Amino acid sequence: MVFRYLKKYWLFAVLASAFMVLEVYVDLYQPRLMAEIVDNGILGLGNGGTPDLGIVKHTGLMMILIVLAGGVCGILSGVCTNVCSQNFGNDIRKDAFSRIMHFSFSQTDDFSVGSLITRTTGDVTQVQNMVSQMIRGCVRCGMFFVAGSIALVSLAADFGIVIGVALPLILAEIIFVVRRTTPLFSQLQHRLDRMNTVIQENVAGARVVKAFVQEEREAKRFGQSNGDLVDTQFRVLILMSYMRPIMNIVLNLATVAIIRIGALRVQDGGIQPGTVMAAVTYLSQILNGMMMLAMIFQTVTRGLTSAKRLREVLDAEPPIRDGSAAPEAHTGTVEFRDVSFRYPEQSADTLRHITLSVGAGETLAVIGETGCGKSSLVNLIPRFYDVTEGAVLVDGTDVRDFPLDDLRSRISFVLQKSELFSTTIRENILLGNSDASEEAIRTAAKAAQADDFIMQQHDGYDTRVTESGMSLSGGQRQRIAISRALVKPAEILILDDSTSALDFKTEAALQSALRTEYAHMTKIIIAQRISSVQHADRIAVLDNGAVAACGTHEELLQTCEVYREIYRSQLKKGAEQNG
Amino acid sequence: MAEKYTPRSVQQGFRRGPGMMGAPIEKAENSKQTLLRLLAYFKPERKTVLLMSAAVLVSVLASVFAPSFQSQAIDKIVSAEYDLLPRILIIMIALYAVQGITTLLQGYISASLSQRIVSRLRTQLFDKIVRLPISYIDGHSHGDLISRMTNDADNISGIISSSLSSLFSGVLMLIGTTAMMLHYSVPLGLLSCSTVILTVFFTSFMSKHMRRYFVKRQELLGRLNGTVEEMVTNYRTIMAYNRQKQVIGDFSGTADQLTKTGIIAEIISNCMGPVMNMLSNVSFVIVSVFGAYFALKGYISVGVISAFIIYSKQFSRPINELAQLYGQIQTAIAGAERVFSILDTESEDFSGESTGEVRGIIDFKHVNFSYVEGKRIINDFTLHIESGKKIALVGSTGSGKTTVINLLMRFYEIDSGEILLDGRNIRDLALGELRDSIGIVLQDTKLFSDTVRANLAYAVSDAPQAEIEAAAHASYCDRVIAKLPEQYDTVIGQTGVTLSQGEQQLLAIGRAFLSYPRILILDEATSSVDTRTEQNIQNAMAALMKDRTSLIIAHRLSTIQDADQIIVMDQGSIVESGTHEELLARGGKYHELYMTQFAGQET
Repeated sequence: MVFRYLKKYWLFAVLASAFMVLEVYVDLYQPRLMAEIVDNGILGLGNGGTPDLGIVKHTGLMMILIVLAGGVCGILSGVCTNVCSQNFGNDIRKDAFSRIMHFSFSQTDDFSVGSLITRTTGDVTQVQNMVSQMIRGCVRCGMFFVAGSIALVSLAADFGIVIGVALPLILAEIIFVVRRTTPLFSQLQHRLDRMNTVIQENVAGARVVKAFVQEEREAKRFGQSNGDLVDTQFRVLILMSYMRPIMNIVLNLATVAIIRIGALRVQDGGIQPGTVMAAVTYLSQILNGMMMLAMIFQTVTRGLTSAKRLREVLDAEPPIRDGSAAPEAHTGTVEFRDVSFRYPEQSADTLRHITLSVGAGETLAVIGETGCGKSSLVNLIPRFYDVTEGAVLVDGTDVRDFPLDDLRSRISFVLQKSELFSTTIRENILLGNSDASEEAIRTAAKAAQADDFIMQQHDGYDTRVTESGMSLSGGQRQRIAISRALVKPAEILILDDSTSALDFKTEAALQSALRTEYAHMTKIIIAQRISSVQHADRIAVLDNGAVAACGTHEELLQTCEVYREIYRSQLKKGAEQNG
Repeated sequence: MAEKYTPRSVQQGFRRGPGMMGAPIEKAENSKQTLLRLLAYFKPERKTVLLMSAAVLVSVLASVFAPSFQSQAIDKIVSAEYDLLPRILIIMIALYAVQGITTLLQGYISASLSQRIVSRLRTQLFDKIVRLPISYIDGHSHGDLISRMTNDADNISGIISSSLSSLFSGVLMLIGTTAMMLHYSVPLGLLSCSTVILTVFFTSFMSKHMRRYFVKRQELLGRLNGTVEEMVTNYRTIMAYNRQKQVIGDFSGTADQLTKTGIIAEIISNCMGPVMNMLSNVSFVIVSVFGAYFALKGYISVGVISAFIIYSKQFSRPINELAQLYGQIQTAIAGAERVFSILDTESEDFSGESTGEVRGIIDFKHVNFSYVEGKRIINDFTLHIESGKKIALVGSTGSGKTTVINLLMRFYEIDSGEILLDGRNIRDLALGELRDSIGIVLQDTKLFSDTVRANLAYAVSDAPQAEIEAAAHASYCDRVIAKLPEQYDTVIGQTGVTLSQGEQQLLAIGRAFLSYPRILILDEATSSVDTRTEQNIQNAMAALMKDRTSLIIAHRLSTIQDADQIIVMDQGSIVESGTHEELLARGGKYHELYMTQFAGQET
């Protein structure tokens, strides 16, 4: 996955590496100039021990220029690395988000909101860091390491033995630490998710926490997840902190060994003392490279864990797939043919053998007890879920044969919970149809009985809705959501118990507007109140996942006991006294 | 114009939306203060910090001395004194061992230190968040709040763990080296230091620019988090309206902006390394040139120059490290600022007199309230509620019913007038006790990702199973629970657990029943529950709340007909009150409401 996304920016990656090579080269070259200044300039070795200011000035200037060039290369390498890694991260972030936006309901439930947030932000940053470390760090430490090793071995083959012993030890250490930390990193991300969920719930559910005065309890709950997280983080850090000192010790022992071996060689007369000095210098270069490697491994291990988590999102196949055969005709009929439905991983059917049909322009009301499957039923129409058995047909075609866009463009769905976005009221309504004219917006809002209160707001339609619309009352939110549905040019309107917070007068006005101005739309209305459903062409009474009865208000009052009970429960005293 | 609409409490705080995107241009003063405040977190850890400094000191000393023994060893090889070599090598090994161990210790201490500090910071932040006034939470992007708790707090922890010890050793090396240089030759030492001054000058220049981008980057990250949070929570609507493309487009816009800002911020901070490297080399050349000159003049010996050269090399390493740290510190400061801005928001004040045994008499006296200045929501609201009565609030949507509840719970504070509980101003009462005496079921149900049992027993965590079951029975959620895979132990929000809106409301009612409050408030609590179940709940509630005060907001008049008093609200004021029969007989607003509700049914 990493390479797939990196491909687009390979040029920058290559350039970054090339500039890095130059920068490191300058780094490696610069000591020679320094030596020149010291030996020939200051110590005046070629001048009988008198400092030579000319050489110092001349070489010094050159050194500054070379370092300047190296610095420019370093900066350019940084520019290229950042352009590459951050754009790379951005691409992944956008893809992950777009994938999430196409998730099915059950997929989002599985991941949880908190985890999806961490994945699109924190995990992307980790992967991004990994790439930038790999581009810059690998080249840098690789060069130090390779250049140092080659130089060392070329001095004396014996020194190769020292490296030959030290390297496997260091590699073993790196492998050990990486192996131990990898599972810890995934645990870390998992616990981060968990903590995020606690925070998210507390922010979103602040009213409940406060109303029940459970600040202490929530603080304890948070304390636990925070403690878990810190615990894992600490273990990771400790493991990581072993890496450097142990590596240090190994390499320093190698230095001692080189001096010892070097001493023996010099004693033999095999090499000059200067060679030993050079060997020590090279070894410290190798050490430098190794240190960086340790840092890089840390980032890479963490990055790989995050990459895996991102892959889970990016590779998640939407279980609901597009069909290809949309019917030409937009009539607005809906039909349930022997539909049964069961939520994934549940043992009992939520809907059982439902057969219902709604003709074009007809109004079907659905009423029934809490938990009887009303919402589940309408969720099958725009394919928020797919049927387990049977088929749902829209305009005579199985919904599974439609391209999703086409199917959903035929349906205006008002959810039970009105979801508003933190932008203006106008933008919220325009979500239904971004091409809607001012007039169309007002018409829809008027029908939804929202125009009056919107106009009373400070900035009218341009008033901002704050987070989850808390500054608006429940009924106002519902009416904005309904305006949004009405402005959408669809043939089928589904109201999923979305007038529950409206007072009766407002609802009656809405119903009558729907009957007259939106007569052409096929309507499926879920409601609790008899008054919301009694004018429907037909009313389906749902009981325990099956259709108990279906007919007009009058018919049902005659024939259906369940319906009569519902009716009675709503009339109560009032009807007895005034009836 | 958007500003006008921010709730008052938010005006000083962080705002979102267009027009606020430009990073605030802040003075360096702020950044210094933030840093100092961040440092204050180390105060309780004084001992640990001291221990760590000791470890750093030892390891710095070891790494300063080891090279000198190394050169001694080579000298011995040169002078062919091979017998002395083993002793020197053993000392070297010992020094390296000391260095290794102290580095290990350093790592351990800095890891535990950073984790303790970040844990403390997070706990503090969370404690703050649960105590923030509702008005603050309502007015801020939830995703951004979350981002501050996670991304920003993490950044701070990262810098502490990864760079605290390098910061220490860097500073120590710098001080030690400077001291040594001044010791050998004051003029040359001062010359070397001149580059340090240059470095400081350069760093402060860069920091100004860097800060701006780092602050902006954290802000954009917060916004991005906000978008993800909002879109993922509301994605059903996005799906239903085929708005994926538009939403993804918006997200991409913010993401692209973040990337651009991030690239600039990182590039600037990456420049620090090479530039510092250059400065240290310039310093080397200066030392060489002037050293050679002084030596020619005979002010200093050549040996001093060679020592200086080693020192100026030693000088460059910590400066380099510090420069690299600089970027991280900037991110941490930018994060810390965002964290502190939450910590600085005023918490709800929980202090006050004890409520004592609450009888449940509630008085609203000439209460006025507006969420937004100039737009009254509650207007001269006066109401007396007797203890043990069932009161209903009715009125068209937006008439202020929920706001009355918000004020009674002190989710928002009134502008003028007073609210009394048992004759005492609720402002004088301990907030916790006030809210404890009131059980509330909100319009917008929120359950927690915990077991059903824990959700029901939310307010009384030690409730026995029998009581939990009784409350579940009374609220009719026992049937819902029976259908769940693991009944009371089912974790809400888990895979395979799908609760409808109505079912969630039943659980929320169960939760309130179990807390058995003196005053019970149901704010459209049964709007998604079918009317037969609702009626049964009403009956159970009547028995439960006998002698206790209950306040009910409902649109279905059938829900509230048997209330002792029905309050009809319009535009934030009371227009009528009385029993169902009285109000019907009066033929006013209530009668009108009633008629629309039952129109058609009676024919």
